[in-house]
Amino acid sequence: MKKSIKRLATLGLLAIMGATFLTACGKKEENKDGGTATGKKTTITFGIWDEKQRPTMENLVSAYEAKNNNVNVEIQLTPYKGGEYWTKLEASATGGTAPDVFWLNTLHAESYKDGGILLDLTDSIAKSDLKLEDNYPKALISMYQFDGKMYAIPKDFDTNALWYNKAIFDKAGVAYPTDDWTWDDLVATAKKLKDAGLDAGTYPIAAPLDFQTDYYPTIYANGGWILNDDKTETGYEDPKTQEGIQIWIDLINAGLSPDLATMTDTSADAMFEGGKLAMVFAGSYMTPEYMSNDAINKNVNLVEFPEFNGIEPNIINGLGYAVYSGSKNKEAAVDFALWLGSEEAMKIQGEGGAVISARNDAQQYFAATNPDLNLAAYTNHSDIAFPLPVCKSSAELYDLEANQLKWAYSGEKTLADTCKELKAGADEILNKMNK
Amino acid sequence: MGDMTKSNVKTVKRKATRREKKEWVAAYIFIAPLVIGLLVFYIYPFIQNFWFSFNDVNRFNITTFTGLENYKNLIKDKELFQTLGNTLKYVVITVPVGLALSILIATLLNTKIRGTSIYRTIYFLPSVTMSVAIALVWKWIYNGEFGILNSILGFFGIEGQNWLSNPKTALYMVMIVGIWMTVGYNMIILLAGMQGISRSYYEAAAIDGAGPFKRFFSITIPMLTPTIFFVMITSIISGFQVFDTIYMMIPKTSLAYESTQTLVMMFYRYAFDYGQKGYAAAIAIFIFAIIMLVTIFQFIMQKKWVNYD
Repeated sequence: MKKSIKRLATLGLLAIMGATFLTACGKKEENKDGGTATGKKTTITFGIWDEKQRPTMENLVSAYEAKNNNVNVEIQLTPYKGGEYWTKLEASATGGTAPDVFWLNTLHAESYKDGGILLDLTDSIAKSDLKLEDNYPKALISMYQFDGKMYAIPKDFDTNALWYNKAIFDKAGVAYPTDDWTWDDLVATAKKLKDAGLDAGTYPIAAPLDFQTDYYPTIYANGGWILNDDKTETGYEDPKTQEGIQIWIDLINAGLSPDLATMTDTSADAMFEGGKLAMVFAGSYMTPEYMSNDAINKNVNLVEFPEFNGIEPNIINGLGYAVYSGSKNKEAAVDFALWLGSEEAMKIQGEGGAVISARNDAQQYFAATNPDLNLAAYTNHSDIAFPLPVCKSSAELYDLEANQLKWAYSGEKTLADTCKELKAGADEILNKMNK
Repeated sequence: MGDMTKSNVKTVKRKATRREKKEWVAAYIFIAPLVIGLLVFYIYPFIQNFWFSFNDVNRFNITTFTGLENYKNLIKDKELFQTLGNTLKYVVITVPVGLALSILIATLLNTKIRGTSIYRTIYFLPSVTMSVAIALVWKWIYNGEFGILNSILGFFGIEGQNWLSNPKTALYMVMIVGIWMTVGYNMIILLAGMQGISRSYYEAAAIDGAGPFKRFFSITIPMLTPTIFFVMITSIISGFQVFDTIYMMIPKTSLAYESTQTLVMMFYRYAFDYGQKGYAAAIAIFIFAIIMLVTIFQFIMQKKWVNYD
């Protein structure tokens, strides 16, 4: 009895092993068949990370393939979460097998350029009819431009806006926010909401420790700065920078926003989606997330980032399409990347609704995807938005910044003391980077 | 020359008959999957890591030899000592507490009560659950605003708090999850050890009038020391390598961030977030050296308390 069970188990294991081997072989053969069956077709790979944008990317690929019969584009999706996309990209670039065309963000652009992974697209762009300077916002071009050379075609961009929950405003009998708000209006309304008596655990607004969406826009609007042009020094000790941060801490201290510990346990986004926040700042990429949540999607709308110091504050950041320098089909890859920047491709992407297309003439499509919402709040002043400050050590700097500023946000230290320490640490990282 | 080859052939022939050779080939084929796996996934990366630790390595594995530079910087790095302190704290608390709990539960489940197999399964469940899922669930339990822990405490009139944001409590909260996750696995091993103890010892002791406590401390524990030793070694090693629960439960904006960062967390950040793989490799070697020293120390000390008879 025992023996036969053992035998059965062995057989089972063997069967499983055999099956894995077979499927492994099968996959390989499929690829080979794909290659041979299509004859002289060139296959290029296209690396992306967002599942939500996959359908749009597939539409782009089929539109391109319809025009270029001899090219076959294969999408490779690797999740962004936990840095998986970058880890895989770096490993495959080391091994010479990175995707021919891939999404790139500003955070990684410079170190990837230094690593020799990105193909210089300057000449190809000049020869094409893309006219980058005329058709794209300057801030987005500058993100992928190093020493006057372009290393990616801008793909999309994101800015920030103020979302609000109409149900909470209605209940408190307070007027909704408007596009022409100033920061003082925001604070005054938050106070009105608080005085009207919100439900337990509900707050007028949130001031989370989020650089891109919250305090960078106000720092730059206030004339402050984070990183100088040479990337040798940080601006945390500039009083204007600190003012841009202090207004958020004031919201917490006034009890208008939950405290930092609460927002660390439950993110501001989650609180807003749970109907526990009357207002929240959110990047344009949060739109699909909010609108797919049935608990709030009928009760929310958005307005522009309130004016601060007489300026429309915003931080603009975005992705680009890069070409792998080790690509075996450079010509086809460059052609595809350039086409992705064309009016036609940018329109397809914009109508997909997930992101705002980078090209000037295609920005309008994002707002058109949901006429019930004031999505133009994201694009109205994008031309004067400040580009996200980045350098090769950004990941390290952002970590340090969050780790230090949290002491000021929680009230354990003053902002001035925190910024002094933060500047010392950050400048040291820059020193190391520039060595 | 000719003579030498001749004699070589002779010795080989004398040593291995055809049949033996066949058996060798078969043996090598059988161990090949394991050996190849070890070489490719453990030995080679270890050597590469060792080499990296003497180099400046960027995101794309472009290496520049820098000698002991990484180690020099590492010794000066305040963060290293902070993470080392947190890691030691984690090990020193979770290992003894986890071990004591595992022994206690194993003893209770070694008795003849109804439904032991159900209890064994329940206690073992955390070991087969994904740690990321576990960490997420516990994160909700600890949530300051909506967490079940604070609700329960509130029921007894105790005011809760943001457990994972408080530098005084966060590491202990993570330790509880760590212990909860490993108790089941250790319990199963200890239980197997207990069932290997001959019943006749207990019968003899009972006749001599030894009560249950006396029997536990004079028979069970001494006879179980080899198993306890094994569990201790593996727990200490995994304690030094704690990563996923902390990574999932403590965000960067938590006030408890500094007081919960472990050595492996630091390694991970430098290797994968900051793209400084050489420095990260030096941290990995540091972790390796500490674990090795602690393990050697344990093997020396075991002569004093582990009973193999």
